[in-house]
Amino acid sequence: MSATRTVGTPTMGAAAVPVARLFARTCAAEWTRLWTAKATWWFLAAAAVTMVGLGTVAGFDAGGDPGSAQGDPAWAAAEFTAMPAQFALLALALLTVTSDYATGGIVPALQWTPRRGVLFAARTVVAAGTATLAGVLFALGASVAGYLAARPVLTLPLDVGADVLGTVAFVFGCGTLLAVGLGFLLRNTAGSLVSVFLLILVLPLLLPQFGYGWLTDVADRLPGTCALFLLVGEPTRPGITETSSVVTMLFWAATALVLGWLRLVREDANR
Amino acid sequence: MIEVRGLTKRYGDVLAVDDLTFDVEPGKVTGFLGPNGAGKSTTMRMMLGLDRPTSGTAVVNGRPFTAYGEPLHEVGALLDAGAVHPGRTGRNHLRVAARSNGIPVNRVDEVIEQVGLGSAARRPIKGYSLGMRQRLGIAAALLGDPRVVLFDEPINGLDLDGVRWIRQLLRRLADEGRTVLVSSHLMSEMQQTADRLVVIGRGRLIADATTKELLAGLGHRQVRVRTTEPGLLVSRLQQQGRPARRVDDHELLVEDSTAVQVGDLAHSWGIPLHHLSDLEQSLEQAFLELTSDSVEFHGAQDTTPQQTQEVAR
Repeated sequence: MSATRTVGTPTMGAAAVPVARLFARTCAAEWTRLWTAKATWWFLAAAAVTMVGLGTVAGFDAGGDPGSAQGDPAWAAAEFTAMPAQFALLALALLTVTSDYATGGIVPALQWTPRRGVLFAARTVVAAGTATLAGVLFALGASVAGYLAARPVLTLPLDVGADVLGTVAFVFGCGTLLAVGLGFLLRNTAGSLVSVFLLILVLPLLLPQFGYGWLTDVADRLPGTCALFLLVGEPTRPGITETSSVVTMLFWAATALVLGWLRLVREDANR
Repeated sequence: MIEVRGLTKRYGDVLAVDDLTFDVEPGKVTGFLGPNGAGKSTTMRMMLGLDRPTSGTAVVNGRPFTAYGEPLHEVGALLDAGAVHPGRTGRNHLRVAARSNGIPVNRVDEVIEQVGLGSAARRPIKGYSLGMRQRLGIAAALLGDPRVVLFDEPINGLDLDGVRWIRQLLRRLADEGRTVLVSSHLMSEMQQTADRLVVIGRGRLIADATTKELLAGLGHRQVRVRTTEPGLLVSRLQQQGRPARRVDDHELLVEDSTAVQVGDLAHSWGIPLHHLSDLEQSLEQAFLELTSDSVEFHGAQDTTPQQTQEVAR
């Protein structure tokens, strides 16, 4: 455009762009948006260090006491390190959404992708997908590190590994979808983070302490309780089963996503 | 072409935009003027689908902005230059935009050069001045070579060189046949740049006309005269039904007259003149006259009469 010229007929923007292509391009843009933010790498590093580091420590621990752990699968490292590490991954998914509201970046984002449903889907898939995939890789790393540190005490059976990594993926996936949904719903980093911590950590631990049955029942229907049960098999209360935990986690993730989607598509961009 | 029809936005009890109807035509720079809080930004946000209108429509080249899949090829806009992630580099910010609309990355480098960001584009945006952020926002708007551009206060924070650059850019974009809508609170800037003006106050349309029409239609003609006989000239002019008043010992202002008329009359009366000129109505005056009833927030005014204000009126 260095010289004066005449603009012509409508171009690609006016043409009907296939939704699949639009979604793919929006995902590509979201991926670029994600990896070009330093915070992404900090959160991933924090999760990696927590999981692989604790897995290694646990491996050395098991290696130093071969009698009690002989032949145990090292995959246990993936499950117990996932509990603390999930907060870094939840924060990553959540901040991917809320930082755009904090900086005002949602304004150019919607100028570039005005179809809000497409932006919602792409951002959800990229944020939750990246955090979940990274979490599963770190879980694998934690197990391998534990296995190597404890060698030859622990084992690494593949069938158990697939089961464990599948559970970790489900827990991380539901958790990060919940975080993304809350981010779209509340549009506020502090509020969303506090909500996630309450639902995943604080309330599941606190409510049963009061000794009221109904409060314990409420705790049993919180995503944090179900995540803990799926990963490490605790708490062992009658109302908590694998099925109930899976359904409860899916319900929380779906509810948060629906509410977040409704706010994005119905309300002004960032008022 | 942008077509706005009955656009209205209400926030609770506040009517931010009230039944606005106007067109923004291609091939012209259209200035969008109004006092602070008049509803300019809200109107532009509704044009871009960011805010939901309470009623009314805004279409860009025949369709709502939200109907565009890859809008950067059709509409480029700069609304808030500060609405960017401060930790990302300018180039990466543009790469996100390019990827979202299927624009090749080499176009990113082209617009970076075009707006003069150069090597700064590889630095985090948090180190940018407001002027650099404006340039980045304009680069994003131009990325898809769009037929319609909307700029909200684009010269905020720009130095003189930047202002001249924006002026030339707007002119060139319009000359290329693009639709150009630019809001500004700098009336003098609009007077130099805009072919057409849409003026709003308290969310309502006040004027929609060419800049020339606006200036001609609003201004009443005034003539500035300096003479050694101001008292005599004032009384003679008033006898002729031409209102005139003294500004100082030697200067007076004659209303509803031209310099030619006053010069001829003074010559016929034998009154010597040392200065004679038509006072050109500025857009700023016109704007103040238009919006005087619709300014939402007034600053405290100095009530001391000032000679320069008297002259300007």
